Amino acid sequence: MSRREFMRMAAGGAALAGVGGGLLGGCERPGHAGVAIPLPRKTNPVRWPVYSDNEPIPDGLAPEKGATLQIYNWVAYINTAVLDSFCKKYDCRYTLTTFNTMSEAISKLQTGELDFDIFFPTIDVLGPLVEGKLLRPINHSYVPNIHQAWPDFLNPFYDLDWQYTVPYTIYTTGMAWRKDLVDEDPYTMANPWAMPWQEKYRGKVAILDDYREGICLGLMKQGIFDLNTTDVAQIESSLHQLQELQSLVNVQIDNNDYSEVPSGQTWIHHAWSGDMAAAWEYLPAHVSADVLGYWFPPDGKGPVANDAISMLTSGKNPVLSHLFLNYMLDLPNALTNIGFNGYMQPIEGVTAEKLIKLQYLPEALVSTVVLPSNFRTGIEELQLPPDANDAWELAWLQFGGGL
Amino acid sequence: MATAPPGARPLAPAAPSGRSGGRGGAHLRGGSSPPRPSFRERMRARTEQDRRESWRPRGFWALLAIPGSICLLVFFVLPFYVVLSVAAGTLDPIFQSPVPIWNPFWWSAANFAHLYHEAGILWPPFARTIVYSAIASAASLAIAYPVAYFVTRYAGKRKTLFLILLISPFWVSYMMRMLAWIDLLQVTGWVNRVLEWLHVVSRNHPVGWLAGHPATVIFGLIYGYIPYLIIVLYAGLDRIDGRLLEASRDLGLGRWRTFWRVTVPLSRQTVLAGMFITVLPMLGDYYTNQLLSATPGTTMIGNTIEGQLEIANLQGDGAAASIALLVLLLLPMIYYVRSTARASRENA
Repeated sequence: MSRREFMRMAAGGAALAGVGGGLLGGCERPGHAGVAIPLPRKTNPVRWPVYSDNEPIPDGLAPEKGATLQIYNWVAYINTAVLDSFCKKYDCRYTLTTFNTMSEAISKLQTGELDFDIFFPTIDVLGPLVEGKLLRPINHSYVPNIHQAWPDFLNPFYDLDWQYTVPYTIYTTGMAWRKDLVDEDPYTMANPWAMPWQEKYRGKVAILDDYREGICLGLMKQGIFDLNTTDVAQIESSLHQLQELQSLVNVQIDNNDYSEVPSGQTWIHHAWSGDMAAAWEYLPAHVSADVLGYWFPPDGKGPVANDAISMLTSGKNPVLSHLFLNYMLDLPNALTNIGFNGYMQPIEGVTAEKLIKLQYLPEALVSTVVLPSNFRTGIEELQLPPDANDAWELAWLQFGGGL
Repeated sequence: MATAPPGARPLAPAAPSGRSGGRGGAHLRGGSSPPRPSFRERMRARTEQDRRESWRPRGFWALLAIPGSICLLVFFVLPFYVVLSVAAGTLDPIFQSPVPIWNPFWWSAANFAHLYHEAGILWPPFARTIVYSAIASAASLAIAYPVAYFVTRYAGKRKTLFLILLISPFWVSYMMRMLAWIDLLQVTGWVNRVLEWLHVVSRNHPVGWLAGHPATVIFGLIYGYIPYLIIVLYAGLDRIDGRLLEASRDLGLGRWRTFWRVTVPLSRQTVLAGMFITVLPMLGDYYTNQLLSATPGTTMIGNTIEGQLEIANLQGDGAAASIALLVLLLLPMIYYVRSTARASRENA
């Protein structure tokens, strides 16, 4: 298309803007053809390649002396007490740099000018990170604590033989509600995923600000549990469900489930289990944690996920990085981290009883505890092919823009 | 000849006797003496005179513009070029993240074309943004003008105190002020408590101010940007020559008519400048709505662009949308520049 043709089209577009453009059938993005990267699924587990110019470090190396471990993590997603104790043990220092979104993090890492050692990726971006040679492969001899992890994570489908990742946090996505303000109990409802679609709670309902979680909610409300669908009709149907939700309850879109439900700002909130595990700490004084509820399907057929810890090729301290991975898989350190973070780690010994005993979790919120079985019955939201991903993103943008 | 009231100050130096009916017609327009030089000619002559008499080297004043020009280049032109290069760029084949194209000869229009396909998505937030900004700016003007006028004309010895009070909001960041309002506007916040105390709302049915009301977002915009408007209006109103107002009163206009026929016309350019300083950031604002509402029904165009920028392979679209918004905002800016230039010519 020539520039002149484009200008003519744009002028026409401006005139027709009010009529509305095509939604999910937009034109191809430049560079979309891309590199074919395997899409890990439980039915299609992936063993990522280890490149000859990016091999694991040799066995038996001593940790770097006087080093500063550079950690790149989500905001407020690790207990600095754990970092302090690690540095005390290995006589090093650390710097913690944070990011807000995975795309922001990857954009910075792509520049190749940052020498972070440790990174906390979501599992849906592993393919590009490995193909881009940003991740350092793991030498298993430095990480004996992997055997403290749940068996499901010793050979995960998204990274067979844990070549590039060890597991970090685990969580489910469900429904949080105020038991003292909402009449319904999702555990007795025919379709709890439809809980937010009730006009009588107008102004009191919120859903997560995440395009995958949001569209998945619209799908599950209709009984569709293929949470990685590439079917444009299903994605559009989810969009229509969300638009109906907007007109019914003027739904809010945010990730403040952990504070809004305790404060009573919202009564029903599409929520992450890790956020709700910490929500009782945000309750006003003299309000019991019993008013908080979190629902996840008792049969385990709902969204489950885990984040990971990886080492970056840009890091200057590969041995310390291995030791850090090992340290985070040790039960006492994992428990200290959970005490701050709220999000569980899949380590043997991290159980509901233990968390309640340590007063990390009130009994009222025991449903936020993730079980090993959840990763066999649950459904992961995984990397999508680019075209399908576009359809999800555009549907979410359309919903977010309002009618 | 009309006589001035007792005690009135002369508006101009006393007219030469010839203008008051004497025989000497040399001072009258159309007389034999050469016409008075124009403003532009007088300024040119003055500049030439300054240049001849000045000890400073040639180009001294131009050199003083260098720091400002560098700032403009670094903080506006270069970032703008980066955004344009991203908007006209491509996607990384592995990460699906934007790759800017720096050479204009290789720029692609694909992201702009994609924007065209997303018109149905962008139009509602854009229309909403225009409406919210129009209401908020009109309300801001209605509040700010009387405040600035009061401080200028009637604050007297307390003018400095009022100025400090007007500037004080700048001591706290915009984000912090908005976060404070979240506490105040919560269901159990102080706003509802005061309204309960006044029996405006009942305890059992408090107002959900943060539950997605356009009025809350508009309030946030007014609250956030009105200090800028007041400061600009104050600066402009304070520069109006008091002798013109006195002259108006001397010539028989009352207080209100003086305000409408002298103060308001003379402050037109100031109002225009103040409105630009407040409206432009309102049009690009996204965190006011994000913090005080966060519902699709109040989404502004800034929120949509922010949403695009948070998703790797939509960042090019977001950059293209930013450019499109900028081009749209240039239109009123051009009007402002032309209007200012016209006013300068008229004053000259």
